[in-house]
Amino acid sequence: MAGVVLETLSWKKLIALSIVLLICQIGFFLIGGKIAPSPHHVQQLLATKCIDEHKHGGHNHKHKLFWPRGAGSCTSVSTFEDQKIEEDEIGANQIVFAFQFPIPREGKELKMNKWFQYMIAVLGFEIKYKENNPMVENAVIDMDSRIAARSGNSDWIEIARSNEQRKLDCHLGEKKENDYYDCNMTAFFELGSVYYEDYLVNIRIPVHNNSAKNWGIGKVEDIWMHVIHQTGGFTQVWFIMKTCVFPVVLGIMIWYWRRIQQLPRLPNLLEKILFTLGLALTFLNLPIEWLTLAFNIPFMSLLSDIRQGIFYSVLMAFWIIFLGEHMLDDYERNRLVMYWKHLSAVILGCICLFIFELCEKGVQLANPFYSIWVTDTGTKLGLAFICLAGIAACVYFLFMLYMLVMVFINMRRKSTSLLHFSSSRRKYYQGLIFRFRFLLLVTVFCAALTVIFFIISQISEAQWKWGDEGVSLEYTSAFFTGVYGMWNVYVFSLMVLYAPSHKVITSAGGEDEDEDEDVIHLTPLTSEASTSSALASLARKATVD
Amino acid sequence: MWTKTKSATQGHYFNVAVVFLLIIPVDVLAWSLNNFLMTGPKAYLTYADSVASGALMGVEECKEQFKWDRWNCPENTIPFFSHGSFKKADKETSFVHAISAAGVMYTLTRNCSMGHFENCGCDNSKKGLQGGPNWKWGGCSDNVNFGERISKLFVDSLETGKDALAIMNIHNNDAGRRAVRKTLKLTCKCHGVSGSCTTKTCWHQLPDFRDVGNWLKKKYQRAIRVDSINGELRNARRNQGLMSVSKNDLVYLEHSPNYCKANLTAGSFGTVGRECIKPRKKDKGSTRWERKSCRRLCTSCGLKVRKRYVEVTSSCNCKFQWCCSVKCETCRQKVVKFTCALR
Repeated sequence: MAGVVLETLSWKKLIALSIVLLICQIGFFLIGGKIAPSPHHVQQLLATKCIDEHKHGGHNHKHKLFWPRGAGSCTSVSTFEDQKIEEDEIGANQIVFAFQFPIPREGKELKMNKWFQYMIAVLGFEIKYKENNPMVENAVIDMDSRIAARSGNSDWIEIARSNEQRKLDCHLGEKKENDYYDCNMTAFFELGSVYYEDYLVNIRIPVHNNSAKNWGIGKVEDIWMHVIHQTGGFTQVWFIMKTCVFPVVLGIMIWYWRRIQQLPRLPNLLEKILFTLGLALTFLNLPIEWLTLAFNIPFMSLLSDIRQGIFYSVLMAFWIIFLGEHMLDDYERNRLVMYWKHLSAVILGCICLFIFELCEKGVQLANPFYSIWVTDTGTKLGLAFICLAGIAACVYFLFMLYMLVMVFINMRRKSTSLLHFSSSRRKYYQGLIFRFRFLLLVTVFCAALTVIFFIISQISEAQWKWGDEGVSLEYTSAFFTGVYGMWNVYVFSLMVLYAPSHKVITSAGGEDEDEDEDVIHLTPLTSEASTSSALASLARKATVD
Repeated sequence: MWTKTKSATQGHYFNVAVVFLLIIPVDVLAWSLNNFLMTGPKAYLTYADSVASGALMGVEECKEQFKWDRWNCPENTIPFFSHGSFKKADKETSFVHAISAAGVMYTLTRNCSMGHFENCGCDNSKKGLQGGPNWKWGGCSDNVNFGERISKLFVDSLETGKDALAIMNIHNNDAGRRAVRKTLKLTCKCHGVSGSCTTKTCWHQLPDFRDVGNWLKKKYQRAIRVDSINGELRNARRNQGLMSVSKNDLVYLEHSPNYCKANLTAGSFGTVGRECIKPRKKDKGSTRWERKSCRRLCTSCGLKVRKRYVEVTSSCNCKFQWCCSVKCETCRQKVVKFTCALR
């Protein structure tokens, strides 16, 4: 009966492996920080106020699109104080706020690109305070919103159209004539793919005499739209990184599984969950995003989120089982049902987030303007799901903390009884405990690193950056690539170090020259098939002593 | 306010634009054309139009900020309208320069965001790439960068000399542009998994121009008197000269004249005939500064406050749509007005 590679590996090799993995880790951070650009780009667009000349154009005319640039562009006004408005008696129903993007730069017509992956737009309203036309409390704006797109010089194709209500979250301190309200941004739309080259957004704010719609929203002067999309450079780096990591993890996973297959017994729970973790990571690494460059796949970002969710839930399940299997008490676990309490917390949390995700991004596939947060019931529902997920996470962490404390208590208790062992065996067991603690520390280190880098990237994102001043590292990109790489390194090292050791099965091989050799033979060879790790046998031994 | 480019005063703006073209020296023009502008006068005029309306926007804000001050930002002190007529170097001039430079930058940025200019900058050259390939790789710089660059080109080129006054004006122009930067609003959007903040994108949004005006008014109140020594500005109060002047501060060379009295050579029109207000104390909309305006403008200048009843016509009982007013009536209203008059 053999232990795992970690127990049989010599110090030299363990340190060498750690250093190599650490270098890989630093490499991942540097790829993001030095090569990739900042992960997102924001286009700030101010609406052009197009005039729909047909005053009573009827229903049919409402389907016409208006664009500010290029052939067939609309007639526009700069402000609503323009004489044209008064002379032609232009009303609110004839005004179309049009955004055509990307806007030209450096004399070139820029194009949106498939590398941009997805697009998120938020709206900012510029509303003037007028004493005789103030904004009512809890004002809601009702917009007939349309998105159209085209590639090359083709006609505009309508992608989405919807009547959308948005709360105007505006405040005004001193009520002075012609001052502007301080309005918060409102979510507008999210597109899961950037398949076309040019995009056009048309917003109408219709009013009718016989309905309260859009009365009392103040004097809307301008509308800003901020379009966020991933940068092409970041996408490239990301894709290439995934493509490189994928075969490595796949390879180590196959190697790991073959090792388990070579065992004379059935794999135990810890081995199975570790293999599942590798499987989940390989699924996450699978670079199917390349397909977005050839096809229009709006559900890709939903799929990515789901894949990420699966990986993190398996990771959390793994931690619980890892702790449970190293409890060093006499309790026999090794079955998934023994962990139902802990795992149900993980599953509940994941289901909550999954439903939430489907409610938000799933519905967005049908209506890009949809957001769960814009309606009151939606907000409550969303918050309920997130609260539930939060509670599940708390329960999970309490369980984990409890188990962690138990492991350490048991370990301390056991290590005192080690004094009665012979010196070589004691050295061996102490080494085992140390290496277990070492891995535990690596986990904590990874988690801490994630948190720290998350905080740094958040701060750097919110910080004042002007041009090239000072900043030579893209923290946000480094956070993404670094954390992604880190969990890959983590799972990789787990699979390497926790694979069953060959040392007893095949006594030949270079590693047999190690100082550990005689120690291996000291491992108590208990015959129960269920015991796999020497650590567990230590537990038994110690209780006997 | 800023988007009046094509409104009722179109003709007037056009004149300003032409004036603008004339006062920029030919060599600067040629150089700038090569560097920034597309060939042909049309594109250049597009800028000039925005620049002119931006400068006017600055002036309007200046008038608003100094509505109840003894000096109330009269047109003829504004560099764009009175170039070369007389040169002042007081605090007020510093404000005018700063706010017009800021207005130009602000308007250019807005118009760039609207897609008005085909050659808005894309100088996000962090990775050494420019233009098209950079756009695909890492996106473009903020439109504010473009506004700042063109504002610098246009407004600073008005200062042809190399004397202390020119240095002061250029410093104040720069302080104005910095005011726009400093008042930019940071806005963030969370868009990570399930809308969490694991992914957060932030950007800087143009503020309300009033914020820029308020910022500069504060800087005006704390403006620093400087001496120009070998083309460098030194704080006049500190003889050691160790204290260098911050780039955000407004600076001036001469003390202001007494703006109570009309002194055309000093650029003061006096306060005779100026309007002031006496709001009721209960009136929450008024500030202390406003309530004391009659004392400041009239009484303390040795003038008396004259009360008059004036009839004003205004549109009223309108039904307002969100954009435009429809169906208004004309109302006549008697209002009280206070003006400063000679005793």
